[in-house]
Amino acid sequence: MNDAAIDDVSLKEKYPPGDLAIWVFIYAEFLAFGIFFLAYAFARSYNVELFNASQLHLDKRAGALNTLILITGSYFVVRAVAAIRVNQSRACVNWLLAAIFSGGLFLIVKIFEFHGEYVQGYSLSSNLFYTFYFSMTVFHFMHVILGMVILTAVMFKARRGGYSAEDHRGVETGASYWHMVDMVWIILFPLVYVIH
Amino acid sequence: MTQNTVKTFLYLRPCTWDWLLLMALTLMILMVAETGLGGRYIVGLLIVSMLVKTQIVADYFMGLKRVRLRWRLIVSGYLLVVMSMIGLAYKLSLS
Amino acid sequence: MQYQSQAVAKPYFIAALAMFAGQIIFGLIMGLQYVIGDFLFPEIPFNVARMVHTNLLIVWLLFGFMGAAYYLVPEESETELFSPKLAMALFWIFLVAGVLTIVGYLAVPYATLAKITGNDILPTMGREFLEQPTITKIGIVIVALGFLFNILMTVLKGRKTVITSVLLIGLGGLAVFFLFSFYNPDNLVLDKYFWWWTVHLWVEGVWELILGSILAFVLIKVTGVDREVIEKWLYVIIAMTLITGIIGTGHHYFWIGTPEYWQVLGSIFSALEPIPFFMMAVFAFNMVNRRRREHPNKVATLWALGTAVMSFLGAGVWGFMHTLAPVNYYTHGTQLTAAHAHMAFYGAYVMIVLCMISYAMPMMRGRAANSAKAQVVEMWGFWLMTISIVLITLFLTGAGILQVYMQRMGDAPMSFMVVQDKITLFYWLREAAGVVFLIGLITYFASFFVGGDEAASA
Repeated sequence: MNDAAIDDVSLKEKYPPGDLAIWVFIYAEFLAFGIFFLAYAFARSYNVELFNASQLHLDKRAGALNTLILITGSYFVVRAVAAIRVNQSRACVNWLLAAIFSGGLFLIVKIFEFHGEYVQGYSLSSNLFYTFYFSMTVFHFMHVILGMVILTAVMFKARRGGYSAEDHRGVETGASYWHMVDMVWIILFPLVYVIH
Repeated sequence: MTQNTVKTFLYLRPCTWDWLLLMALTLMILMVAETGLGGRYIVGLLIVSMLVKTQIVADYFMGLKRVRLRWRLIVSGYLLVVMSMIGLAYKLSLS
Repeated sequence: MQYQSQAVAKPYFIAALAMFAGQIIFGLIMGLQYVIGDFLFPEIPFNVARMVHTNLLIVWLLFGFMGAAYYLVPEESETELFSPKLAMALFWIFLVAGVLTIVGYLAVPYATLAKITGNDILPTMGREFLEQPTITKIGIVIVALGFLFNILMTVLKGRKTVITSVLLIGLGGLAVFFLFSFYNPDNLVLDKYFWWWTVHLWVEGVWELILGSILAFVLIKVTGVDREVIEKWLYVIIAMTLITGIIGTGHHYFWIGTPEYWQVLGSIFSALEPIPFFMMAVFAFNMVNRRRREHPNKVATLWALGTAVMSFLGAGVWGFMHTLAPVNYYTHGTQLTAAHAHMAFYGAYVMIVLCMISYAMPMMRGRAANSAKAQVVEMWGFWLMTISIVLITLFLTGAGILQVYMQRMGDAPMSFMVVQDKITLFYWLREAAGVVFLIGLITYFASFFVGGDEAASA
């Protein structure tokens, strides 16, 4: 498909991929994280020195590594959707497994990070920066788990041959949610770890 | 590299290109982080990179480019509002 | 009515409505005591009237939820209720215990009631909304467990649906979180901390699941929209409810001696609590617009839409208004809280119970819907009560804003009593609106006795 065709309104899909209900949920999640991001940014503008000093203690490489992991997981999910669109159930399952695996990897890296911070004595009540840091990352952490649960359910159904080129709405539903989780981290990482 | 491998490399799936671009942008952010740079231009650069990355995910990974504009506009509008507000908050703290 | 045993819901609904009437009367008494301080003193002091007003609300809503569950679950599970006898026995136990408790509040001083009921053995009394004597609390637990057992057994032997699962999670949570009312530590901070686990996690957590499942049930019935579609919405709504509502408890932890981070967590998560209510409103209108049948019971649809809108306004918008810590610093415990409470309880929980009653009562009386005439009368009741609650909320909001402004801001803030005196006008207006509510309630009751040609059975 060339770009001219893509921009032709009549050829556009009426609704986003996956179930409309998941999109209502995705938009609500965006709103939730959006409020977090803005609350963080404005709380920072009143406590610049505290935030800048505390930010230095975060493990930037772990954060970046996790970004790479999530982006790659998202890519796997894209491939899973592409596979089922040409009726390759088997490939779809494998790509989904790869995505779930990358989700697991993200959790492991994050747990190591949390552990390091715990050992150094940082917690939710250390200061305002850490209140934000922990509540945002833990909240996102829970979303990664939820995304993995959804992808696992989709994967099992795909393995039973529950999806096909004609009917794979469920795969798209799980994929859309997973991309949302990825997008949130793409913003969260630079915002909390890097920008100062 | 032979002619043929160059060709296959160039004919990677579009989504693979998107993925490579996202990885590269992430590494760029990491480099900025490692140097510890800050200030107006770096903040601006980082915010633009976040905007580009999220928009790529929305357009090509989520596939909103193929959907009627309104659904995509919700996401793009959201990203634009959040990013500019973040920018504003940082501008307030820089001045 | 498809199953005989659904009929046990009827006494529950009747008891609920009778207590509803009592709640309104005590509300009016209290409203008057706001402006005429010694009205009915010493027979019914303000604190007793308030206790009766709030406790009756809780108990009648519980009756309503139970009745709704007894009606809904057999139909969803496509089987008779596990034990209608148990349901009736629990009804009488709950009713007698409830009435005795209220009589106790009114007949003897609260301290005497505590003594008579052996509060010393396991002290749980004396805390707002959980004033019930310990034995009543134990009775509530027994009734709740018996009720849950009955419902669970019915679900297990029949068809399992998303609606019954969500309802069961909601009712189970209701029972579990009530257990925190038995935990009464000496440390005041801890006491308040866990007190909210009952109070907040009920109304801003598990009760919302009950609300969502009843609403979904009624919408399936009156719109004929595919169950699949409705269930998906229900999933999304309850997920959002739990994501926002659980940590949203933090908006009660701003100033009670809990760690400071609650100001961030509580503000952000509770700011998101309107989202599930917004979804519920979109959901209800969407389903009604996509309806595939014209159900003769128009007024049940009206209640369903009404609860979706009013819960969003009352719980969502009015809650959001004072939920952010920097705002709440000024508004905490003012008439704004009362404004929010009135519209939220009416919009979310009173209306959903009345919605279920409106749908189920005609069925239990052997018709698909009441006559057009009776429905029109009921709609009058709906509008009178709803408009009245909007007015009550607006007047209390006005009172609250003035209160905050005069009592807590500026260079020379005035004292509480001086300010109360200055906002008397708003209290008079609120009382007048309350009288309209009573008229609406009487109209609503009258609709049960209006005859007329029966609507064709569906």
